[in-house]
Amino acid sequence: MNHLFFQINPLEGFFFGSGKAMVVAGVAIIILIGLGLWLFRMESRLQRLNDALDQRLNDAQNQPS
Amino acid sequence: MIQRSWKIGGLALLGYVLCMIFFVPLGPGLLEFTSTGSAGHVQDQDRKVTVYALTGFGTHWTESPDQLTVVLRHGTQLASLPLIETLDATHVLVGMDLPYTVPSKSWDVLVTHPVDGTLLLENGVFLQDRFIDEQTKWANPEIAEYPAELPFHFPYQPQILETIRNLMLHVPMWFTMFLLMGISFVASIRQLSTAHDLHQDTKAEASVQIGLLFGALGLVTGSLWARYTWGAWWVDDPQLNGALVTVLVYAGYLVLRATIQNIRLRARLSSVYNLFAFVILIILLMVLPRFSESLHPGKGGNPGFNSYDLDSSLRAVFYPAVLGWMMLGTWMYHVRLKASSIERKLRQLQ
Repeated sequence: MNHLFFQINPLEGFFFGSGKAMVVAGVAIIILIGLGLWLFRMESRLQRLNDALDQRLNDAQNQPS
Repeated sequence: MIQRSWKIGGLALLGYVLCMIFFVPLGPGLLEFTSTGSAGHVQDQDRKVTVYALTGFGTHWTESPDQLTVVLRHGTQLASLPLIETLDATHVLVGMDLPYTVPSKSWDVLVTHPVDGTLLLENGVFLQDRFIDEQTKWANPEIAEYPAELPFHFPYQPQILETIRNLMLHVPMWFTMFLLMGISFVASIRQLSTAHDLHQDTKAEASVQIGLLFGALGLVTGSLWARYTWGAWWVDDPQLNGALVTVLVYAGYLVLRATIQNIRLRARLSSVYNLFAFVILIILLMVLPRFSESLHPGKGGNPGFNSYDLDSSLRAVFYPAVLGWMMLGTWMYHVRLKASSIERKLRQLQ
């Protein structure tokens, strides 16, 4: 059954030939770039938060009891 | 700068892999060789033969149709079949004009063509209506061999067909999960040896969380692949069941952590659990499936995508895919680890 399906609609025909592969690959690349940007942004914000917390922890430790 | 460049490198590798997945065509192959049940007439010969239909996949039989040769093979015995008609690029009709006495019922079908090269359909035809005499010997015909003139393409694999592209997604997901669970295993061992510092416990938790994400993606991509090649979303197979149990065992690790309030007790107990979870992963995914019957490639005597059938075109995409997904997984683990570390510091401040 799969053979018949693929033979009637070979990907080369309806997927590559029709140009849909470009659209699907484009969407996949955009998602990948978006994920990369989100991770970079998340990382830098976490780093800033971490530095601020370290500062507050140091201040708390240096405060006279 | 170095920290940023390896992350960009990982993304670039995955971008390359995605482009290759969507743009590299599949090579040609043979799908079916079946009797049409009708009699036909061979050109230049005044006799009737049974007509067989040969179906190809991605073939180019309308180009130089007179140079297409269809041959049956059993061991070293060859029999050339006359061509009746080329219907289109993937369908031809040939005449079955073998004598009544043949050396075997089961024959491979070989096709040679200047564009596609030599294509093989193993055990492609089973001759029911012939007398078998294994001693029968024929004079082998001269077969012209053509080197394939095709652009860069993925190899044609029976049953797998176009879904071979999933190799660049499914297998690297599991490799990335193994890497992350390995990091978690080492962190748990170090946590048990340094009970006063909880940093290793945070590492173990973060890597299991991201590893579970890749495990779930591995299950989803595997289930999709199974649907198209085996006809079912899930089959009762030791490899598939082992993968599911492994993911559930690691989900149990997170559940265990959530039930213990004392952070030192939680770190110790979950570290011990994690050691056993990694051993279970090795047994269920790498050992047991090799000792039992399995549909899954690479298990139970079933060849995997290795030197047997992982050809150079697949290697050119598969290895970067493994590296790229592992780099992305490691990056996500680092981000998660940083977030967990901040959570821990916030709790200290409260």
